[in-house]
Amino acid sequence: MGFGDLKSAAGLRVLNDFLADRSYIEGYVPSQADIAVFEAIAAPPPADLFHALRWYNHIKSYEKQKASLPGVKKALGKYGPADVEDTTGAAADSKDDDDIDLFGSDDEEESEEAKKLREERLAQYESKKSKKPAVVAKSSILLDVKPWDDETDMAKLEECVRSIQADGLVWGSSKLVPVGYGIKKLQIQCVVEDDKVGTDMLEERITAFEDYVQSMDVAAFNKI
Amino acid sequence: GAEELVLLEKLLGLPKGNKYGVQGERKVPVLQTNNGPGLTGLMTIAAHLVKQAKKDQLLGSTAEEKAVVQQWLEYRVTRVDGGSSKEDTRIILKDLNVHLEDKVYLAGNVFTLADILMYYGLHHVMVDLTVQEKEKYLNVSRWFNHIQHYPGVRQHLSNVIFMKNRLYTNAH
Repeated sequence: MGFGDLKSAAGLRVLNDFLADRSYIEGYVPSQADIAVFEAIAAPPPADLFHALRWYNHIKSYEKQKASLPGVKKALGKYGPADVEDTTGAAADSKDDDDIDLFGSDDEEESEEAKKLREERLAQYESKKSKKPAVVAKSSILLDVKPWDDETDMAKLEECVRSIQADGLVWGSSKLVPVGYGIKKLQIQCVVEDDKVGTDMLEERITAFEDYVQSMDVAAFNKI
Repeated sequence: GAEELVLLEKLLGLPKGNKYGVQGERKVPVLQTNNGPGLTGLMTIAAHLVKQAKKDQLLGSTAEEKAVVQQWLEYRVTRVDGGSSKEDTRIILKDLNVHLEDKVYLAGNVFTLADILMYYGLHHVMVDLTVQEKEKYLNVSRWFNHIQHYPGVRQHLSNVIFMKNRLYTNAH
């Protein structure tokens, strides 16, 4: 909620539109809501924004009783149309001398300070981000390596497979799984970095051991 | 006429017990008093009730305010009650819409008897307005919606709905 920047013509137009069918900012009696918005406006609205002007003159007539009006003064963002934001600079600064302004008196100073703080925080975030190691995409692959027959030396076959070295390739555990007729296949696990090692490359290199390997299949492929 | 005086009594916090009658073709309200012929005329009786309730501020505080209140009370009785054609109603709504452009209440910044009686007088008109008409007489709609929410005014009268339909908003 809010009226945009009430110190700008655009903000006053939002206020004008809002007040076209309303006598007050909130409800049907003058309240602190009206005072809050009234104090955010620098001067009487121009004559062409006649709803805002009507409201302004009306609230001005309550100047003397403003402290006793019902309700509690809230931030400007709590009033007005739901789909508009409040961007009125240093928002609900009270022009009342009695109020203690906790955040400093000068509008300009405050926004500069806020800017500095924001930039500091951004820099902190950037440096933190760069220190963090990039997360690498990895996959866990289960390969089925099949021998020619039941006479093939499976130990040797495994040795050959494990001899395949590549950047981003780590061999895991393995086991021998019977497939029938006394033949056993080698099921071996590996973890690869997706960017560096692909199953095509693995298949090429494994089947290069023609003496031992008849074929290779991917039994399972899981992203880590 | 007479019914709204009963509503007014309640709004003012007066005890019940006044007897109202009507007189003539135009059904002018009459307040029977214990002695004498009684008071005749809506404005007259209404002002009397306000003073009885010791709420004189409802008749206006400054000389100017009082005059404006009287002006609109007279308008109510002569124009709103007097005329009843569609054209008459259109003119009334137009007059009010212009007058209320820069005012929250008929008398400016204060709620007065003028607002009360104009509300009661116009209720039957506002109830029948279309959405476009309510949008057209935007200031009247705003004022009427405000008055009907004023504590004690609406009582048993129906609440007239005002919804700002963006499709019909004029580019001001």
